[in-house]
Amino acid sequence: MLIEMKGIVKDFGPVRAVDHIDFTVNSGEIIGLLGENGAGKTTLMNVLAGTFPPDEGEIFIDGNKVQISNALHAMRMGIRFIHQEISLCNDLRVFENIFLSEELLRKNGLLNKKEMINRCLKVFERMQVQIDPNAIVSTLQPAERQLVEIARALLFKCDLIIMDEPSTALATKEIKRLFDIMRQLKTEGVSFIYISHKMPELFEICDIYYIMRDGKLVAHGKFAEIDEQQATELMIGRHLADEEFLNKPYYGQEEVILSVKNLSGKSFFDISFDLHKGEILAITGLQGSGRDLLADALFGAEEYTGTLQVKNHTLKQRSTIIDHMKNGIGMVPRSRKERGIHNDLSIYDNISMAFFNTKFKRLLIDSRREKERFLRQQKALSIKTDQPKNPITSLSGGNQQKVILGRWLEADADILLFDNPTQGIDVGTKFEIYRLIIELAKNGKAIIVFSSEFPEIHKVADSCIVLYKGRINARLNRDEITEMSIMYYSTGANLEAVKNG
Amino acid sequence: MVSVFQKYSFKDLIKKLFAEYSYWLSFILLLILAVSVNTNFLRWSNIINIFVQTATTGIIALGMSMVISAGQIDISVGAQVAIISGLGIVVLNFTNSIWLMFAFCLLLGTLIGSLNGLMVAKGNMPAMIATLAMQSICRSLINQWGQGGPFTVSNTNFDTFRLVAAGSIRIFGFKIPYPMIMFIVFSILFGIIMRQTKLGKHIYAVGSNTNSARLAGVNVKGIQIIVFMITGLLCGFSGWLYASRVMAVAAASAGNAYEMEVIAAVAIGGTSMTGGRGKIIGTFLGALMFKIINNILTMADVPTFLNGAISGAIIIVAVLLQNVQNKSK
Repeated sequence: MLIEMKGIVKDFGPVRAVDHIDFTVNSGEIIGLLGENGAGKTTLMNVLAGTFPPDEGEIFIDGNKVQISNALHAMRMGIRFIHQEISLCNDLRVFENIFLSEELLRKNGLLNKKEMINRCLKVFERMQVQIDPNAIVSTLQPAERQLVEIARALLFKCDLIIMDEPSTALATKEIKRLFDIMRQLKTEGVSFIYISHKMPELFEICDIYYIMRDGKLVAHGKFAEIDEQQATELMIGRHLADEEFLNKPYYGQEEVILSVKNLSGKSFFDISFDLHKGEILAITGLQGSGRDLLADALFGAEEYTGTLQVKNHTLKQRSTIIDHMKNGIGMVPRSRKERGIHNDLSIYDNISMAFFNTKFKRLLIDSRREKERFLRQQKALSIKTDQPKNPITSLSGGNQQKVILGRWLEADADILLFDNPTQGIDVGTKFEIYRLIIELAKNGKAIIVFSSEFPEIHKVADSCIVLYKGRINARLNRDEITEMSIMYYSTGANLEAVKNG
Repeated sequence: MVSVFQKYSFKDLIKKLFAEYSYWLSFILLLILAVSVNTNFLRWSNIINIFVQTATTGIIALGMSMVISAGQIDISVGAQVAIISGLGIVVLNFTNSIWLMFAFCLLLGTLIGSLNGLMVAKGNMPAMIATLAMQSICRSLINQWGQGGPFTVSNTNFDTFRLVAAGSIRIFGFKIPYPMIMFIVFSILFGIIMRQTKLGKHIYAVGSNTNSARLAGVNVKGIQIIVFMITGLLCGFSGWLYASRVMAVAAASAGNAYEMEVIAAVAIGGTSMTGGRGKIIGTFLGALMFKIINNILTMADVPTFLNGAISGAIIIVAVLLQNVQNKSK
């Protein structure tokens, strides 16, 4: 089977996620799709797998033009997409998940459980994994869930399997097994598109590379003809605009404003560090490294043990979000739509929400003061709107993010936690946010940026903590922050090496 | 400095009018319809009659606005009115004090409301289920207490207690009944709470997005409890008023289908059924509109048995219209 994508364009609001991409998959080919976070890889694959239609462009299968209207449609045409976020129904059994929407029936119209379970067992045997098809998915380990996803793709006849960073949840041994299966299927004519950040894996399993940057295709060819260094350079590119941030001064002062000692929670352990006034600290780590929960814990939204000291004042155990806020901690949360904004509320109310909780002492809200608060933040953050009474959804993502930031500035937070702050924001506004972060540090705010995007860390951070499996694996100074070093420590390569040696 | 607040263009204004003030529009249309069916409709005696009829459900609808704006629902309000008014009369006959009865009604309502709130916020129960159970409990208890007979106000208290619902004051020669004053005062009070206090903003915030509200420091569970509590309190007040209006509370039928009327009033008033958006003035007009529709139907000789069908249809139409409006935005 031959799949061709021609001139694919996909916009999300003002952001062009995929910009005129041509992409060809031949039969029995393993393609590595490379690019930084936000380069548009997943979006392109979503178009191919029918998650959403392209805004422009055409898709051909064996020379025939096709319209892939939904995921089921794509499956019928032999295209399977294994998503990065595991998309299983947790309350159903393994075999029920695997056969979801493609259930096998007996003649009388009832489910043929026996046959479904048998087929599952066969696939698991081929994959050399031991998972009980009858187990409820919520009882499985993350790696096992990932394997169930893969089994789902293998069970049905398909011509193309797309895998979006499948190896993040898998251990080395499981990855090796996965590669064996991929090689075998390849000889049977099945093609793969393999999305990953891990160079050694890509070079081991893939034949062809496609490299994307900022929604555009920057290069493609054979892996045999390049080396890791070249691939990395193509992926990162050299942005002119980066120079602005190259000589960022260090605004950190003597005073330690936040001191974290032996903080442990559900998925992070024994975290200790000091944060100075005016310092920008980045905390990074792969999915499942405990980064998300650590961010929530520092803001009091997640339970923890250990001590948090703000300006020599130790926070009580089991402190609530309000306690953290009153001590001057503010958080711009990740997943803005789900956790940041109130989409029914006006821009005014969105900006005042934290202020109401910490500073507001009157009985009635005065709309004049609400306007003053807005105007002050609009000026400071250059929020682009002329109708602040409108719902916040009338703003672009970047401006929404500024409103959330303004919320904490109005609440007088001294310590600002930015959790994945530029998610879904266009490149231009991203830079504006970076400038704002640096400006805030200059004015004496202490800042922690939780991020998985290397360019972001590289631009703003004075130092960077790299988490691996919930623990601090390295603390890097500004001149030690490179894409290589972050990848090295966040994949735990240093620890694995010790084990093997 | 250049003003950043642009004036709305005419087209925007019309659009805004339709999107945000549709309840005014339907209110005016309904008035026109009512006047054409019944030429006496705008007579003062008819107007105050509508207000008096609306007051009991209208007051509860204000609390229901809060509950729904916070993303919850309370279907126990009718049964609450039954148990509160029934037991209220028992207290009245026992103490001979309408104010002790008043205090008892408010207290019992707040208690029932708090239980609803605790089940939802602390027990993580869906509001529909929690309040359905509460509805069943309240109705059953008052039926058991009454053993089929009504709760009747004793002769000693008859003349004084009657005045709560039937009394009035005169301003410039216009007779204004107490229930009308109560309804209007409560509406203004709740309008201010929802628009201009921290509590109001927090209710909308929780209804709009629970996660975001929590991460902005809003005490989400506290808000969820308090909206049910306030609704219970209003049921208490309304139960007191209801007892005075009927003077004999029949346990099985008192406050019957109030939850439908109340939710219908909120829906017609433009409050989003999924929470986060709504105005008290809308609910105020919505409650009146509901009674006006009834008024028109009575004039047109539609049998009262069909009231339930009609209030059901009103809710469906109102919410469908909301969805259409939301899409067109």
